Amino acid sequence: MTVDVGSPSIQKIERASGLIQDLLGHAETAIGAVTAGFEDLARQANGVLEPVASIIAYVEDENFRIILSNVEALALAAKGFIRERLDATGGMLETVTTEAKLLDRLSELTRGQRSIARETQTLSVLTNIEVARLGELGAGFQYLAHELDEFSKAVVQGTKELASHTDERKASVNETRRMLGAGLPRIRQEFSRIEGDLGRVLAELSASNDQLRCAPEQFRAGVEEIAGQIAGVVAAIQSHDITRQQLEHVQEGLDLIAGKLTEADEADGEATDETALVSAGLAIQSYQLRSIDETVGQWVDQIGICLDGILRISSAEMGRIGPLVLEQERNLSSNLACIEALEQECQGENEEVQNTFAGLSNLMQLVSEHVEKSRYVRDRLQLLTFNSIVEANHLGSKADAILEISQSIKRISLSWSEMTDRSAQAMAEILQLVEGAKEKMQAFSAGGNAELLAAQEKTHQGLENLRSTATCVAREAARAEETTIHLQTEIAVASKARDELRSSFSAIGSAQGAIEEVRGQMEQESPNAIKRADRREVEALFSKSYTTEREREVLQAAVAGRPLPCVQQNLTGNSVELF
Amino acid sequence: MKQILTVDDSASIRQMVSFTLTKAGYQVTEAIDGKDGLAKAGTKKVDLIITDLNMPNMDGIQMITAVRKLPGYGFTPILMLTTESQAEKKDAGRKAGATGWIVKPFNADQLIAVVQKLVK
Repeated sequence: MTVDVGSPSIQKIERASGLIQDLLGHAETAIGAVTAGFEDLARQANGVLEPVASIIAYVEDENFRIILSNVEALALAAKGFIRERLDATGGMLETVTTEAKLLDRLSELTRGQRSIARETQTLSVLTNIEVARLGELGAGFQYLAHELDEFSKAVVQGTKELASHTDERKASVNETRRMLGAGLPRIRQEFSRIEGDLGRVLAELSASNDQLRCAPEQFRAGVEEIAGQIAGVVAAIQSHDITRQQLEHVQEGLDLIAGKLTEADEADGEATDETALVSAGLAIQSYQLRSIDETVGQWVDQIGICLDGILRISSAEMGRIGPLVLEQERNLSSNLACIEALEQECQGENEEVQNTFAGLSNLMQLVSEHVEKSRYVRDRLQLLTFNSIVEANHLGSKADAILEISQSIKRISLSWSEMTDRSAQAMAEILQLVEGAKEKMQAFSAGGNAELLAAQEKTHQGLENLRSTATCVAREAARAEETTIHLQTEIAVASKARDELRSSFSAIGSAQGAIEEVRGQMEQESPNAIKRADRREVEALFSKSYTTEREREVLQAAVAGRPLPCVQQNLTGNSVELF
Repeated sequence: MKQILTVDDSASIRQMVSFTLTKAGYQVTEAIDGKDGLAKAGTKKVDLIITDLNMPNMDGIQMITAVRKLPGYGFTPILMLTTESQAEKKDAGRKAGATGWIVKPFNADQLIAVVQKLVK
């Protein structure tokens, strides 16, 4: 040996080897803890997945999926129902406005008819006087006086009834108009709010429905991701074994170098030039340790990333599914209650509209009867006119007064006829109004609610299923949550073990430092010693112990003085080669 | 339940093989080296053996050679799970009677798939 590196160097190399030995012991303990922690963690992750899988089965159940669409259908039906009622209520206001105008016309008609009744009464009195004056000749006109008297009484009675009802109705219509007129803007506003609320309910339902629809897919993706993370940890833990072997190989290399140095010490004074070989050997071991250090960094990091991944997916992502389903149930229940409350509010407006319609129907009935009576009076007046004129003409000049009375009856008959036509016209208009109102009333009828009622029925049945599902989901979610708490404890234990594992490998740096120190001293005392080494001899000496491809790559780089090749560790695991 | 024997001087490797295959529904027995593996295979018939190559006391090749001589093990699948990837080592394994070769680390899914195929 040309350079005196003897005992101190051997001691340093032995120290490096000793550091590696200690490291291996600590790392073995630490990897044991990591492995145990990982197995517990994987079990706990499975413990989270099981209840979540049950929840997903509930979510995917037909009964559960139907309820969502049922509530959506109910909200839509309620929205349509409320819109129709709003339109109908607006229409009813128009109806009562038109009715008020008609009632004015009817009042005018009844006033005209009352005036005719008074005239008829007068004519009846005049006829009686004339009958008395004519004596026997006037006996034939007594029936005319009687008929006029009867008609007058009947007309007075008829118009009185109609006038009374018209007045009552006018008062009622005015009240309805006032109420609807004042209330409609409020009702409209209220209905708009209800419509808006239903829109919000529908949007909420749709959003949570979308979320739930994604849950099974999310779960399956989560399960796959957890499996991937577990496979990652399995591969990373196996990498420890590779690292262990590589460190043992470095130890073997160091033992070989220490042996060479011991031989040199023993052959003290003899000319041996092993400096180059020893220096190259030290460089190789230093390279190997750097490579191991980098590799360790990668697989220990992978353990950490995968453990965190398992926790994240199991607790955060999987754990979200249970509460999501429960929230959906609460959401559905409260939205359903909201829909029902909104329907109730709509029913409040119902009474007023129903009364309006009933009043209109009564009015039509009364006007119809009045028109019938008027027609009868008109026909009788026409007949009286005709008969009295014929009789008066027959008596000649003696019956001039009667003829005059007959002409008056004719005039009254014409007026009456005109009023009857106007009454009939008013009745036709009322009829039209009633028909229109009937159509509007469809919105308030039981038939109009049929769709809504059917939707309600379906939803209530479904809601029972949903509630029982929610009970099961709550139980499973509680189970998942409980396991998640254990999982968090396990991850803390596993993370601590991983940190200890990483720190146990920090001795690699010290071992490498000791090697570099010896090599540096040799380089100082014998510059370019490594360059003098026979490459083939170095490779032959040190490659025996290197069994992995990585070690051989590192050896080549160290011997050639190239930088350390990049670490391309396979952390997904290798496949099986069957012979 | 199918019986698998995993032979490795590394406890963590044995645990990972055991963890992976137990989850897949197999019963796994562990042995700490070739000698232990041979003894366990002799005591109880297993359906498949997964063994390391470099182990103290008895290495994987020696163990396979010995196991093949045990009654009932002529056609039992034996997979080698090792860090070694050299062709000559693989050849030695094949000649000793190995069925397949896996360079560590193994891929869990693929290991399960191969085991399922071999012990069907």
